[in-house]
Amino acid sequence: MAQDDQHTDAPAAEPRKPVFDGPPLSLEEELAAARAEPEPGPTIETVNESLADGVNRCPKCGSTDVQLRASSGMLVCLFCRHQWQEERVEEELGLGVGIDELEGTVVASGAGEIDEGADDIVTLTCGGCGAEVVVDTAHAMNARCHWCRHTLNVNKRTPNGAVPDAVLPFKLTRDEAVEKIREFAGKRRLFAHPRFRKEFVPENVLGVYLPYLVVDARAEASYSGVGEVQTRRWTEKSGDNTVTYYAADVYRVDRSVSFTVDDLTMEGAADRAQFDSSTTNNIVNTILPFDTKNAVRWNASYLVGFTSEKRDLDVGDLSPKLEDQLLSIGRSQVHGSLDRFDRGVRWEGEQVDVGGSRWVSMYLPVWIYSYYQENTKMLHYIAVNARTGETMGSVPVSQWRLIAAALTVGTFLEGIAGAILVGTA
Amino acid sequence: MSALLDLQVTVLASGDGAPLWILAAGPAGALGTYWAIYRYYRNNDKSHAYERDTLIDAKPVQGHEEKVDHISRTRDSDIDGDNSAKYRERVRRLR
Ligand SMILES: [Zn+2]
Ligand SMILES: [Zn+2]
Repeated sequence: MAQDDQHTDAPAAEPRKPVFDGPPLSLEEELAAARAEPEPGPTIETVNESLADGVNRCPKCGSTDVQLRASSGMLVCLFCRHQWQEERVEEELGLGVGIDELEGTVVASGAGEIDEGADDIVTLTCGGCGAEVVVDTAHAMNARCHWCRHTLNVNKRTPNGAVPDAVLPFKLTRDEAVEKIREFAGKRRLFAHPRFRKEFVPENVLGVYLPYLVVDARAEASYSGVGEVQTRRWTEKSGDNTVTYYAADVYRVDRSVSFTVDDLTMEGAADRAQFDSSTTNNIVNTILPFDTKNAVRWNASYLVGFTSEKRDLDVGDLSPKLEDQLLSIGRSQVHGSLDRFDRGVRWEGEQVDVGGSRWVSMYLPVWIYSYYQENTKMLHYIAVNARTGETMGSVPVSQWRLIAAALTVGTFLEGIAGAILVGTA
Repeated sequence: MSALLDLQVTVLASGDGAPLWILAAGPAGALGTYWAIYRYYRNNDKSHAYERDTLIDAKPVQGHEEKVDHISRTRDSDIDGDNSAKYRERVRRLR
């Protein structure tokens, strides 16, 4: 039992102090935190591990009662305790190499077009007892036989594109995720909505594999616009005031850059791919990137104890988004070549030629604590990257408390301004 | 607020003592406080910085520039519509 700590239903062993009890942080503390620069994201160590051959059953005893041990990222056989890991797709599929020679659109088999007509319901024959078990692949990619509890793996490439090429196993345990979420909310106590404070139970966190398309691409981006270089600066007197004037040379500017990107990661579910003010989808987007180099060949055993979401966006749907992101990347690449234009550059036209791209579909692991705010009908998340531990969230605020604080600060500043005016009048 | 602005213009023109526009410190401070805290809680402005956090291998930047005009006298301290650092702001596609 100690082996699969992330799957137990019992709450964390030692009871910890509830986040929203005790003395609140002072306004100054929270203000300082709110104004501070965001902390830099964690760096990713892409460690090269030697991997065992992947098989769907326990390679030692043949049992299908296999689970992921998050602490080690290994699959563990619950019958004989043997541990192993699937092959990294990086080497197996030859990803990460030859990006500068990519031609056309290369799509890994698991990233193929989703067949809308194909049924989500797959019937599997249990290898343990022979019973026919139905798995709804729209909601789960694995199931247990309810007769003999053998794990049924949807390992075959089903024709509807439901099975990804690769999976990045959970690494952070459930307890570690709870701690991250507790810490994130704990720094946001003063203005949290009272109902959120009352109902905050970080132990309700869920481990979810979310679908992504991971892209290698080769591209050339070009930009044209106008840049200005200051040639002179002087002041003139105008009544009691001095006015600063400038003279400048105007240039027509062109830039282009060829580059490759390795493992650009895009949401594969339409529900999560739209970022606007009516959703909190940007929260899960912000905890990217993942150490996708360590993703291993798909094996449904990795999903035991977690939920998963099905991909519904195809390569064709995401190609415009890829071009958009490549244009942004190219812009950031040429930025350093604009130093001489000290009055700035205004880009007016741009284009990108994608020489080649390679698409792999991947399940990436996220711990999600969700909270539905009834009065605004908004779903809030605190999401933890289950590889790097990067945490981001949306905490519903108490509007009246926030306005009261803003007015307090405003009144204080106004008092100072008034005093200065009176003092100098 | 518009009354305050009118008053402000009057005082600026007279040029005596501290300018009245420092009275805007109160409302500006209140608004700034509101947005700073709101953003800290809701994080609605955050997203994945793929321009920085993706493995990118770029060849040297190519390009040229050509002087086309001269501005001999302006009060603007910088170019209009500088978008060189707004990587995600899209402009006209050339083709
Ligand atoms: Zn075994
Ligand atoms: Zn069975």
